[in-house]
Amino acid sequence: MWKYTLRRILATLPTLLTVITVCYLMLHLTPGGPFDSERKVSAAVLANLQAKYHLDLPLWQQYLYYLNNLLHGDLGASFRYADWSVNDLVAKALPVSLLIGGLSMLIAVFAGVVLGIWAALRQNSWLDHALMIFCNVGGSVPSFVIGPLLVTVFALWLKWLPSGGWNEGQWRFVVLPVALLAVINLSTVGRVMRGSLIEVLSSNFILAARAKGLPMSTIVLRHALRPALIPVVSVLGPLAISSITAAVVTETWFSLPGLGKLIVNGASNRDYTLVLGLVVLVTFVAVLLNLLVDLAYALLDPKIRY
Amino acid sequence: MKLLTLRFVLALTCAFIAPGLWAAQVPKGVELAAKQELMRSNGAEPETLDPALAESVGANQITRDMFEGLTATTSSGQTVPGVAVSWKQTNPTTWVFTLRKDAKFSNGEPITAEDFVYGWRRYLDPKTASPYATTLAPFILNGMEVAEGKMPLTDLGVKALSKDQLEVKTPFPVAFLLDLLSNTQFAPINKAVIDKFGKDWTKPGNMVGNGAYVMKEWRVNSAVVLEKNPQYWDAKSVQLNKVSYLPIEDSNADVKMFQSGETDYAYVLPPGSYEQFKKSHPADIKNGPMLGLRFYALNNKDPLLKDVRVRKALSMVIDRDTLASKVTADGQIPAYGVIVKGISGADVTAYDWAAWPMEKRVEEAKKLMAAAGVKPGAKLNFTYNTDQYHKKMAIFAASEWKTKLGLETEMENMEFKVLLKKRHDGEFQIARHGWVGDYNDATTFLTLVQCDSDANDNKNCNRKAEDLINQGNQALDPAKRKALLTSAAKLVMEDYPMIPLLQYTLPRLVKSYVGGYFESNPMDRFRSKDLYIIKH
Amino acid sequence: MPYLIPKSVTEIAPAARSPWLDARQRFVRNRAALVSLVILMLIALTCLVGPWLSPHAYDDTDWNLMGIGPTWDHWHLFGTDELGRDLLVRTLIGGRISLTVGVLATLVSVSLGVAWGAVAGFVGGKVDAFMMRIVDILYAIPYLLIAIMMVTILGRDFYLVVLTISAFSWMDMARVVRGQTLSIKSKEYIEAARAIGVPTRRIIFSHVVPNLLGIVVIYTSITVPGVILTESVLSFLGLGVQEPMTSWGVLIHDGANVMESSPWMIWFPGAALTLTLYCANFLGDGMRDALDPKTR
Repeated sequence: MWKYTLRRILATLPTLLTVITVCYLMLHLTPGGPFDSERKVSAAVLANLQAKYHLDLPLWQQYLYYLNNLLHGDLGASFRYADWSVNDLVAKALPVSLLIGGLSMLIAVFAGVVLGIWAALRQNSWLDHALMIFCNVGGSVPSFVIGPLLVTVFALWLKWLPSGGWNEGQWRFVVLPVALLAVINLSTVGRVMRGSLIEVLSSNFILAARAKGLPMSTIVLRHALRPALIPVVSVLGPLAISSITAAVVTETWFSLPGLGKLIVNGASNRDYTLVLGLVVLVTFVAVLLNLLVDLAYALLDPKIRY
Repeated sequence: MKLLTLRFVLALTCAFIAPGLWAAQVPKGVELAAKQELMRSNGAEPETLDPALAESVGANQITRDMFEGLTATTSSGQTVPGVAVSWKQTNPTTWVFTLRKDAKFSNGEPITAEDFVYGWRRYLDPKTASPYATTLAPFILNGMEVAEGKMPLTDLGVKALSKDQLEVKTPFPVAFLLDLLSNTQFAPINKAVIDKFGKDWTKPGNMVGNGAYVMKEWRVNSAVVLEKNPQYWDAKSVQLNKVSYLPIEDSNADVKMFQSGETDYAYVLPPGSYEQFKKSHPADIKNGPMLGLRFYALNNKDPLLKDVRVRKALSMVIDRDTLASKVTADGQIPAYGVIVKGISGADVTAYDWAAWPMEKRVEEAKKLMAAAGVKPGAKLNFTYNTDQYHKKMAIFAASEWKTKLGLETEMENMEFKVLLKKRHDGEFQIARHGWVGDYNDATTFLTLVQCDSDANDNKNCNRKAEDLINQGNQALDPAKRKALLTSAAKLVMEDYPMIPLLQYTLPRLVKSYVGGYFESNPMDRFRSKDLYIIKH
Repeated sequence: MPYLIPKSVTEIAPAARSPWLDARQRFVRNRAALVSLVILMLIALTCLVGPWLSPHAYDDTDWNLMGIGPTWDHWHLFGTDELGRDLLVRTLIGGRISLTVGVLATLVSVSLGVAWGAVAGFVGGKVDAFMMRIVDILYAIPYLLIAIMMVTILGRDFYLVVLTISAFSWMDMARVVRGQTLSIKSKEYIEAARAIGVPTRRIIFSHVVPNLLGIVVIYTSITVPGVILTESVLSFLGLGVQEPMTSWGVLIHDGANVMESSPWMIWFPGAALTLTLYCANFLGDGMRDALDPKTR
């Protein structure tokens, strides 16, 4: 297992390289440059800007230059935000996204597993349908509708919580965004849990356990849950990645200084270094989370071996 | 919509005003709140807080609080003395400014004329690479040449005559120089600070400015917090102790934060919501004309639009009154020319057909189209950048062209940068465009339709109008200049190079307990120094 | 002595039944799923036929009737939007687009995802590692970038929107399928199949894939709303359906902006979308239950 983990970590490097190269090419092929603006920029200034950011070098040279810096941990200077380096910007956005994304995942997993199990045990009853209706809110109503609804109810009518802003992560500002993301993630986790558990509960070994006279709670928790969690864990990987790195709607709506907004703004501004820096970060996050998911498979199903 | 043109014009003609009179003028009898703190929403995150590099409106709002130039603009739109206490014009192209003796940087060092010279040279230095350099450079002697690296910095038309006397030379008489110099690009910069910190001089703790506020914190994408500067020469009339600028990009999130009390000042309203907020927040809603123009650029080289009759017809049939009152419904003013109301240096021009009833206009337009050989069913291509507001206007225009002239319009929306590129490269037929004045003079708008101007995407050229503009710029008498520029504007618009539609206004929500906000500020320059919190 | 089987036994023995018949019977027993199916078919039918019956075209603007609420005048049963266009017709037309995109994009991404995940999970080893690395790579690339590139290079066709959305949606399915395959791979009947020499391809398609059906069906019904919502985000960014064509996502997004002053603009398309997605979810769960041979 450790050899496998090591191999996966080493395999990150070619992945990272490929991702950077692909994004790099795509950025430079997209029409519009970082310094295109409505007001004319003098030729001398443009030349200086390009020299400052090495945009006057041929593409492959810029590429190597970027890689060289990357090896030293320097993600470069942001094209758009002249006062900050990409390291600064990424370092400031990461904790925000980790907190919001991470918390929402925890809540979604906990609630999703519990509700999914409950619904599976009462399959096709009114309770099952009611629980599924509750779970599915996040999957049927778009986030840009749930967001305003949450804000209108909790911030404007009840006045319990602020309607947006970050304020250094004070808990009152964290509640609504986490709630929004959790509701959205809950729908996937809940449904997959339910479906998967139903399937496992009808397998032979469960039948055997029931025949033996074991109480339902033991059957579910000790025998059925582990194999049933495999699809759930599969789903957690992509959900966690997108909650942390791509929660653009949540961040825009609640004005949070997170990674999702940074990537989208970076792409719109053609801020090459910022986008590439974020891509590097996202790759690491994605690889790490996928590795954790794969390791979890091995924990849950002893027959899965690497 | 309040028309404060007369007051505005009068205010501008007063050049000599006693110092200190125009900072937060708290009217008699108004009780101030104990806590003087303001939360302002500021649109997107500022790209920089270095005054020489700041390009966006949001960034300039913040630098205007942290830096002060020779002159300044109050929140009622008037130009008043800043660091300069008085000035005189020794000849049409030379001005001498006398600086006040008590002006200091926020680190206590006195401000001298050399600091202005250093700041201006740094702003226009190609090595500083300010994207905003060539916009304001043409008005200082040799400014353009210095910005383009053709002349050394020392040739720039600014010189320190003594510690508190600054001489400024312009290449031609610039009537609006005082307004121009209130831009913080022309603020004094402390050379020692730049030498010491280099690129990091804009970080909190390092930054040294001379404005009413200093930077306390800069949390990227979260807030910029400013604190009152005790070293400011007019600190005693600054009421607000703390100002926080929040970068809220989404206008819906913006008004929600205003409604829930997180902010006192919402930057921009969601499109189409003005009427609703006028009803629900009558005391908080603010609106006033701005020096900006909404128009559609026409590619004059396009085969379909080559003929001036086609362009005229397209412009004639759009009902700008319905556009203003029903479609956009936020108090904007119909525009029939390139000059906007409230700007100095030229009068508003309008087409003679603007007063005709719509049926007559449509009839005439149909005749023009027929004469030009364009039949109903012809296709138009319209490009615009993704935005609710622009979409609405574009759909209106398309439906006007369809119902009145029988033309089919294909609409293409795209990202802003992609639209910019297409417009610059001439890869469009009709494109959405908007222009906000950089300074309060007609030339900032005339540049949109001048020959060889980089701001002219229509690629039209009227040499006679060009001559008139040049003559106007050389004229010494302001009235004569105004007449020349106005005729130039009228002349070039007769070529129908573009379709002017509406003049921008500034619909906004500002809590009624925020005093000092005036709707007569056409350039959206609201210094926090002029605002105060009323007891509520 | 020959054992005599009473004729009655052979008479009462049931006729051979196909598993599909079983599945259909089980499905019909699931009330929620049945109701959902009926509702979905009704919605699809209305969206298809409705616009032809309406007196308004979806792009007819009426500058005198902008933003009015539902009313019987002029047959504006859902009200009008801020440009005076009839909301009922636009909701139906939007439904056509959303449903078509949903179905097509889901088909593409499910096919690709299942094939990719099953092969990777089953073959394992280096092939698995390689295929999953490609998935990792695609996860790391910001979708906005891909979307802009694809639109710039390939143009703004409707099928392009479908393609772009499929490009983002198949990876989740691939991962889920791979995980499940890993689990199935180690089951005894696979071992048995291998032992008797069934070729790998047949094992994958005849044994692994049918057992994946449960999770695939569930995940498909999770993909459908995801796809429809992705389409609305793309349209919002200017990369999806062009004006004046619309989709539920676009309508809801526009409606969310004016939720307080003109709530009907979000209620009607929102209700249509939510109802459709809920039904899709229940349908998915019902199908999963029906296709599972071991459902009680």
